[in-house]
Amino acid sequence: MTSDLVLARRERVLGAMASAGVDVLVLGRQDNAGYACGMRRLWTAGTRPFGAGCIVVGATGRVHALSSWDDGIEPPMSFDDLYPLTWNPRIMAGSMAAIDGLAEARLIGVDELTPSFRRAAAHFSPEADVVAADDLMAGVRLHKLPGEVEAIAESCAAAWVGVEAALDAPGHADPPAAAIKALANRGVTVPSSGVRAERRDRGLAVDVGVICDLYEGGVGGLFADGRRLAPAALADACRSGASYADLATAAVSADWLVRGLGMGFEHPVIGPQIGFGERLEAGMVLCVTDGDRRDVIHVTASGPVALSDRP
Amino acid sequence: MVDLGRMGVERLVRLREQMRSQGVDGAVLMHGPHVTYATGHVPEAVDSSHANHRRAVAIVGATDGPARLHAHDPVSDAVSACAEAGGPLWPELDDGVAMVGAAIAEILGDVTGCRVAVDGVTGAMARAGVLDGAELVDASRVLGPARVVKTDDELACIDQSQRRTERAMAEARAACVPGATRSEVAGVFLAALREDDSKPGSDHRNEIDPIFQPMPSRRDGGPRTSTGHVAFPTGVDNPVFAEGDLVWVDAGVAWHGYMSDFGCTWVPGRTPTAAEQSLFDRWMAVLEASLTVVRPGATLGDVGRAARAVEPEETPWLPQFYLAHGTGLESAEMPMIGTDLGQAFDDGYELVAGMVLVFEPVIWAEGVGGYRAEEVVAVTDDGWRRLGHGHHYEPFRT
Repeated sequence: MTSDLVLARRERVLGAMASAGVDVLVLGRQDNAGYACGMRRLWTAGTRPFGAGCIVVGATGRVHALSSWDDGIEPPMSFDDLYPLTWNPRIMAGSMAAIDGLAEARLIGVDELTPSFRRAAAHFSPEADVVAADDLMAGVRLHKLPGEVEAIAESCAAAWVGVEAALDAPGHADPPAAAIKALANRGVTVPSSGVRAERRDRGLAVDVGVICDLYEGGVGGLFADGRRLAPAALADACRSGASYADLATAAVSADWLVRGLGMGFEHPVIGPQIGFGERLEAGMVLCVTDGDRRDVIHVTASGPVALSDRP
Repeated sequence: MVDLGRMGVERLVRLREQMRSQGVDGAVLMHGPHVTYATGHVPEAVDSSHANHRRAVAIVGATDGPARLHAHDPVSDAVSACAEAGGPLWPELDDGVAMVGAAIAEILGDVTGCRVAVDGVTGAMARAGVLDGAELVDASRVLGPARVVKTDDELACIDQSQRRTERAMAEARAACVPGATRSEVAGVFLAALREDDSKPGSDHRNEIDPIFQPMPSRRDGGPRTSTGHVAFPTGVDNPVFAEGDLVWVDAGVAWHGYMSDFGCTWVPGRTPTAAEQSLFDRWMAVLEASLTVVRPGATLGDVGRAARAVEPEETPWLPQFYLAHGTGLESAEMPMIGTDLGQAFDDGYELVAGMVLVFEPVIWAEGVGGYRAEEVVAVTDDGWRRLGHGHHYEPFRT
């Protein structure tokens, strides 16, 4: 990842904060924190309890992150922007008090609300209202920067390494184990959705979702004789202005989903039970699943561009 | 033999005991390990963004009856012992929260004036006023005390996940040679884990990007830290192992949600030097001294003092962590010994039979480097017993 991309994302976040009148953002979600600060961290699976993983201060333009060391950070962030890991809420409160701009904040946006954070914020930002700002971050992340589109395409290419290895696995071998090994040999050990392979009457259904350098890539399909079956009608319907009805009509299976893809699972989310009011917009990158088939599509002014075609 | 149904029923009883004793009328749980504790459902081990959007939600009333589970992932039969399943919910999305509110009302009724334990309230839930009028408390206040003492089935799950991790690590160690990369060794480990399943991929979940980190021999030989000690585990980059490295290994795999914790120090392609062997001998002395004290009624402070007594010059663990931590549905749970919560906390916290301790001392010698490994034990009525098969410390001599 380049520092330019990290800086461009930071500018977008600060711009959205200014427009919304949010003085400070406190981000607990790994993907939001990664977007705002670019820090690479040890990957762990699943949900995490909310904590102040990353703090963006509008008044200073600085981004702070929870870490006891400076490995994995990108300029312009430096060691001085970090506050250390602690088990002790009093020490954490001291770290918060030392961040310029927090004590004077009037409006703090968070990406999840918890009773304990409200209590803590009453001490370190006594004047502040704490409000939900998950929608602010989702809005910032909705349209991808060119550098993000490139990063996603690279991650999709990496996902194919896993698919090819699963397809090439000998009859007695476990295809996902072969995929996991091949991905790891290319340096990829972080899953987004992981590796799935299932034998069907017509062939082998394979789906691989990975994260490389904070960006997600994925691809899936039913393969027979090494070829991916079924045209991607739903992917072709992913055009600027497309409505729920346009997508639902194009889907050929009951198991379809169109959702944002960038630093993982993002907005919009459109599927059989959700997203009735959404409309697609140019600049979105979408993960488009219809049965076994999965493509990653960049919605552009001139139509859908697949980022997940076989390299 | 693990009885998943019995485990689920016993956990729900413990959760409700805590809810009633703390005057909590209902719980709306959206953090994976909390959902597992209440319902038995184990969410897929996917990236947090996927886990957040495709959250499983558990809704638990303080009185009798099954918990309610709403999940996106397939639900196993064992869940039916303590929970009834509803359809998937989308609490992250503005057009999904009406169904969240309806599900809560169905199980908890009108929550106005009630005390409701929550892991968090999503922005969409807040904007729609879901749970408005309730007094919200952190779910960890009821889940924490319920989870800290394990049932026999929970201990058996940790034992199994530890054994499985140890078997896969034997293959990874053979691959950890000069010239190999971290990710290549991780690939051997992850593939071995999968191949060890009777139905591959059916019941284990890798929960942490496995750590094989070559450590510097001096404290200032790596990234800058706030502690003045070494940075571990950083989880970034893909180093190539070289002869002379001391590689710190750390991994966690869940079986029915219960975490293993495998820690070890490897020496790619050679036998340890006398100075390195000495680090290991001192590490073992710290472990043995600590275990001598472990029994019900001993405090965390007692155990920490026993460890420090054999290494009086320097605290024998990393300053940002602990001498030992608990494990269960998460890899670092209470009780934790020797954290920055301080001595008074440790001295006021007594061990109880059924608690789990993962010891992870570190012995450091400037210029030589460090030895770090982990050992998992359960507190028993009269002492402790090991979970997992017990370590193979090769290439160090026990």
